[in-house]
Amino acid sequence: MENEILRIEGAIKRFGGLLAVDGCSLSVQEGTIVGLIGPNGAGKSTLFDLISGFVRPDAGSIIFSGKQIGGLPAYRIARLGLVRTFQIPRALMRMTVLENMMLGSQNQTGEMIFRPILSWGRVQAQERSIEKKAEEILKFFDLLRMKDEYAGSMSGGQKKMLEMARALMADPRLLLLDEPFSGVNPALSERLIERIKMLREKGLTIMIIEHAIPYVLALSDELYVLNKGAILANGRPDQVISDPKVFEAYLGVGFDAQH
Amino acid sequence: MLDYLISIMLTAGIYAIFALGLNLQWGYSGLLNFGHVAFMAIGAYATVLLGMNGVPLIFAVLAGMVLAGACGAFLGVATLRLREDYLAIVTIGFSEIIRFLLLNWSSLTRGSFGLYGYPRPLEGLVAHEDYNIVLAGIVIIVLLLVYALLEVLAKSPWGRVLKSVRDDEAVSISLGKNAFSYKVQALALGSAIAALSGSLLAFYLQYINPNNFQPIETFYAWIMVIMGGSGSNRGTIVGAILLWGFFSTTRFLEGYISFSPSASSAARMVIIGVILIGLMMFRPQGLFGRKEDLAVGK
Amino acid sequence: MIGQLIANGIVYGCIIALGAIGLSLAYRIMNFANFAHGDFLTLGAYLTLFFAATLNLGFPAACILAIPVTAAFAVALDIGIWKPMRSIGASRTAIMILSIGVSIAIRNALIIFFRPDALRFPLPVMESMNLGGILLTSFQISVVLIALASMLVVHALLSRTVLGKSMRALADNPDLARITGINVDRVIRYTWMVSMGLAALAGIMFGLITHINPNMGWSIILPMFAAAILGGIGNAYGAMAGGLIIGLAQEISTAILPAEYKIAVSFAIMIAVLFFRPNGLLGGG
Repeated sequence: MENEILRIEGAIKRFGGLLAVDGCSLSVQEGTIVGLIGPNGAGKSTLFDLISGFVRPDAGSIIFSGKQIGGLPAYRIARLGLVRTFQIPRALMRMTVLENMMLGSQNQTGEMIFRPILSWGRVQAQERSIEKKAEEILKFFDLLRMKDEYAGSMSGGQKKMLEMARALMADPRLLLLDEPFSGVNPALSERLIERIKMLREKGLTIMIIEHAIPYVLALSDELYVLNKGAILANGRPDQVISDPKVFEAYLGVGFDAQH
Repeated sequence: MLDYLISIMLTAGIYAIFALGLNLQWGYSGLLNFGHVAFMAIGAYATVLLGMNGVPLIFAVLAGMVLAGACGAFLGVATLRLREDYLAIVTIGFSEIIRFLLLNWSSLTRGSFGLYGYPRPLEGLVAHEDYNIVLAGIVIIVLLLVYALLEVLAKSPWGRVLKSVRDDEAVSISLGKNAFSYKVQALALGSAIAALSGSLLAFYLQYINPNNFQPIETFYAWIMVIMGGSGSNRGTIVGAILLWGFFSTTRFLEGYISFSPSASSAARMVIIGVILIGLMMFRPQGLFGRKEDLAVGK
Repeated sequence: MIGQLIANGIVYGCIIALGAIGLSLAYRIMNFANFAHGDFLTLGAYLTLFFAATLNLGFPAACILAIPVTAAFAVALDIGIWKPMRSIGASRTAIMILSIGVSIAIRNALIIFFRPDALRFPLPVMESMNLGGILLTSFQISVVLIALASMLVVHALLSRTVLGKSMRALADNPDLARITGINVDRVIRYTWMVSMGLAALAGIMFGLITHINPNMGWSIILPMFAAAILGGIGNAYGAMAGGLIIGLAQEISTAILPAEYKIAVSFAIMIAVLFFRPNGLLGGG
């Protein structure tokens, strides 16, 4: 398919004797939101780790916009425009919110040692435009008033939002969101749903792992269900969710305690 | 009295430069360099040996910095992919190996006999008795330059990446930064700065031998950095002044206490150890830092 | 010639191994590299000397007293320093930096009490025995025998006792160990006792075959770390093997290198292991 941005075929990852991801295959179309659900321990986060290069696959291929990325170092994959967030919010605690944001920007001249001195003017100009962009995105997430505070002083939900905002600074083509709603209060979650939809309007492709089924249903164009490291079902969200197989998989291990 | 003040200024200044190199590594990048003194020794010996062989001093100093930077980078490449303790173990080992090498490579270093009578910068300019004033001027200028360089870098995008690596390496990587490369860079640059301080120390002492570079010197720098608040260049300089203040005061007090010289210097070291323990237990954020600044780093 | 070097290497390796076992155990249970470990070797040796001199004890009795006293000192340190650091959730790096402070304080306190000069245990000078061309003193032979016996005891402790089981559980998963009712602080304190008891023993044996001075333990911290890393840090059996290998390598190297470079050999081995087999020779790739 010509609009395919990500394709995984037969991905396998073992941890000791445990098969965390067992021959998983999936495909993501550009400009869509793809939900990834499954019972606890199904291998969802490991799959994200594989796609983003934080863990090397033992077998299988991962193709991002026509390029084989399986086995590439994680930072290279991020530079290609495939950016992930983490399940447990990982703000850079001893840096300000604005610094967190500005870090996300790509191709910064000033990130090369001594260039901040040798190319002072150019780096300063870049810094100004990065700061402007950071402020716009912070505004989009209602975080602008916190920009000069240490990220460590934010609430869990705010850290989640910051993480997403920071990832957007990298101008990703594919964004992997690992439980973006966990720790975010319901009112804020409603607004977050709107914002994620707006990002899709702008052409961003998004994959979401989420336990809260209603949010996934509200957002996803396509839904994948992962069970025991393999794809159990996929298709339109309303169809997938009414599939008895899926219900059984969840019953088998019990629903996540949080929801 | 003036001589005494100038000598304190010289040592405090030289150690401030030394500690600034460590602050780049520990304060900004979270790297456990327990062998910082090795790079100071490399700088001192490279400068002195090259200077004695007619190399212009400025190039001799630069060569020492490059050599130390390369050694730092090598140790980083060997260990930085592993857990952070390996860097600590390997660097502390490296600093002992360098000292053994200097002690035993007598044909080059004259071993524990040491080296003296080597050229020093701007020596012909003033009378020998006044030389320390000139050197103090050089040390202050170098200190200010190093401070300015590190301040600019720390506040630049480069420094931002370093801090992100310190706070959470995975985040840094997820945003496309090659965290490993930045750690190696910080290690190399910090080591080169230590080498620079080593060259200045050699100019000041007029006589160097391997025992100037005991492992304890590294931990003086650690105390300076932590006391002033890790990650603050200004704090590091204040830490250097405080520690040298402590040394001069205790040396002064020694005149009134009838300890044997070895016992009184050991007593001073016990206090140094206790200061380090106390700082880590009660004020890891430094003497002036706010606890919250560090607490959010947990 | 080479036989003599191998014999010397085994003797020295046994001492490094005993030190490295303690270092590795402490690393595994407390999860940090204890840079003060070497100074506990020194402390053990000096306490022996002190008890022999002041209490008029025979040398063996002084040793037997010095080991538990060193272990008790380690427990006191846990109560005074390590436990408070654990309770405030201090990072591993902070604890390692602190261990440097402990090391500096202990070493220099010993200098104050015993002066910096090298001393000898109050024992007669032993004639070397000639065993098929290899010269060994009865001290050196006893070092090897005592070390081997201690290793057997450690093995029994780790594999046969409740404490050993609790230590493994704690090392594998601290949170789980806590929930299943293991008294974490107690296991940690027993680990310190074992680790520091072994350190004291290693220090005494080191003093027995050379001399004792306040820097002795610190001076062999590098070979001990090299041995622990070689065996896969955290692995007690690896540390035993690593200690012997380091000891042998250092001694045999003197056949081709000047003896002053012995210590550089353990550093070179350590770097090579980190480059090629960072989990140690016994660990997985």
